[in-house]
Amino acid sequence: MKKRFVHYLIILAVVIVVNFFIPRLLPGSPIRTLVGEDTGSMTAEEKMGILEAYHLTDPLYKQFGYYIRDLFTGNWGVSYSKRLPITELILPAAGWTLLLSGTTMLLSVLLGSLLGAASALRRRKKKDLGIVLSTTFLSSIPPFWIAILLLGVFGAKLGWFPTYGAYSMWSDAQGFAKIADIAWHMVLPVLALVLTSLMPYFSTTRYSVLKTMSADYVRMARFRGLPEHKINTGYILRNAFVPVFTLLMMDVGYLLSGSVLVETVFSYPGLGVLMRDAVSARDYPLIQYTFLISSVLTIAALFAADLCYHRIDPSLEAQNAQ
Amino acid sequence: MRNKIIGIIGLVVLIAILLVALFAESLAPYSPYAQTGAPFERPSAAHLLGTNDIGQDIFSELIYGARNSLMVGAISAGISLVIGILVGVLSGWFGGWLDRLLGKVTTFFMTIPFLPSVIILSTFSGGGIWSMSVILGLLSWTEIARVLRSSTMQLRQSYAIKLLRGMGASNLYILRRHVLPELLPLLLYRAVTRVKSGILAESTMSFLGLGNPVAKSWGSIIYYAQAKNALLNGSWVWWIVPPGLCICAISMALMLIAYSLEGKGSAQKEASA
Repeated sequence: MKKRFVHYLIILAVVIVVNFFIPRLLPGSPIRTLVGEDTGSMTAEEKMGILEAYHLTDPLYKQFGYYIRDLFTGNWGVSYSKRLPITELILPAAGWTLLLSGTTMLLSVLLGSLLGAASALRRRKKKDLGIVLSTTFLSSIPPFWIAILLLGVFGAKLGWFPTYGAYSMWSDAQGFAKIADIAWHMVLPVLALVLTSLMPYFSTTRYSVLKTMSADYVRMARFRGLPEHKINTGYILRNAFVPVFTLLMMDVGYLLSGSVLVETVFSYPGLGVLMRDAVSARDYPLIQYTFLISSVLTIAALFAADLCYHRIDPSLEAQNAQ
Repeated sequence: MRNKIIGIIGLVVLIAILLVALFAESLAPYSPYAQTGAPFERPSAAHLLGTNDIGQDIFSELIYGARNSLMVGAISAGISLVIGILVGVLSGWFGGWLDRLLGKVTTFFMTIPFLPSVIILSTFSGGGIWSMSVILGLLSWTEIARVLRSSTMQLRQSYAIKLLRGMGASNLYILRRHVLPELLPLLLYRAVTRVKSGILAESTMSFLGLGNPVAKSWGSIIYYAQAKNALLNGSWVWWIVPPGLCICAISMALMLIAYSLEGKGSAQKEASA
């Protein structure tokens, strides 16, 4: 376990170092990436002042020292396109993104594996043309596109759901009303995400249940005269869940990706929108730190999944020990 | 039999789109780069899908857009295949320290977050077809490498290969003449699913505005439509729906081909694709 921890720590370190070097390898003046397009009106002294304020006149190893210090003391600088400290922008955005992607992941695993198990137990056929076609169709849809369509039909046209943001801007609702308001704003984004991420869970569960159903111990249980529902829950589903969890673990790495896309459609104030705004304003410091924070979140999620995974499948521990 | 039919359906759709991309000049009614109508025209006989915000014909944009999607899909898949084959076959064949080193590199690439990395790399590199493809290729070879590594290790243990080695055949000869041909069916399946992921990723990047701003691609059509509030004035029906359907069609065609290539055990493979 210690080995795994060190592994993720190394990856984290590489990401931090890459984050330091990418902007420095760029062609062009760093002034432009620090204060934006309006550099023409500045005098040479003003430019020099900025370079010194950001320690850009120092040798590279010293710059790296400052970078690490600022990183851990939360002194991430100011976004010039939003005119706010980067920490104040990123932390709430990360919260919204985690809320959105966490809900999505929970719902798609639950729904996907339930539907998959049900379809395997109901229709005991290995290949089903309808299922093949519908699963390939649903996993071919670009998430941002289905998000736009949902927004167009249920938001703009029918007006059933809000079309913008994560909560109502001008309401001072408190307590339960506030939670309901936030949930209301989440319906369409979550629906778009769940629709496009459901299918792998469905197919894996279905396949794995079908495979477990023909295992010897299941047949044995049936010979012993156990009731069908006990065989289903105690023997089949329990064992069939391991591959689903493997998939979940691999998916954690993509956890934020989908959310980033759908956020931009619904102007949901998460990391995705922040990143898109930063990209279109070419606000490099902000791009850098949204990249850093989303990488850290992904790596943390992968590590957590890794920990749980070893709990669920003890045979892996034995493999790793070898 | 059913596998065959599914594959043929996929192949027909793919070939149709390929032909459209190849003969875009003669198929498109207008140049998609020229202003051929008033801005925001509704669909009519002159402009089948109306015009965009600067009066370009959307139907022609759609036809030319096939090129970008297919090119980025194919080139990025090519790059990830080359890296995946090199890493997978070399570490599976030689084992030892090389395998351990390449294994470390592979797990590193599997752990870095995909979309944030794509975004940061492409903002710093401009958004041409080649830079997009290289970025996508570099970030998506790990699965291929892992699969090839284990199959190569298995092959190395096989009787026939042991015999060849015993007869003194060189590594290069065995790899080229015996190992790679054996791996071909596996490679074919992976190649098709990679092209599909590449196409989806290209549309994603273009949709986020990370592509070349003047290039025509299905994702960038949606990006501009979205930016010009197509949702509010109702033009999304002919401006946003068709390019999305094109992306669905090609990606579904490729998945059906992959499905029929894989045959047995495809349900699981499909899940990981």
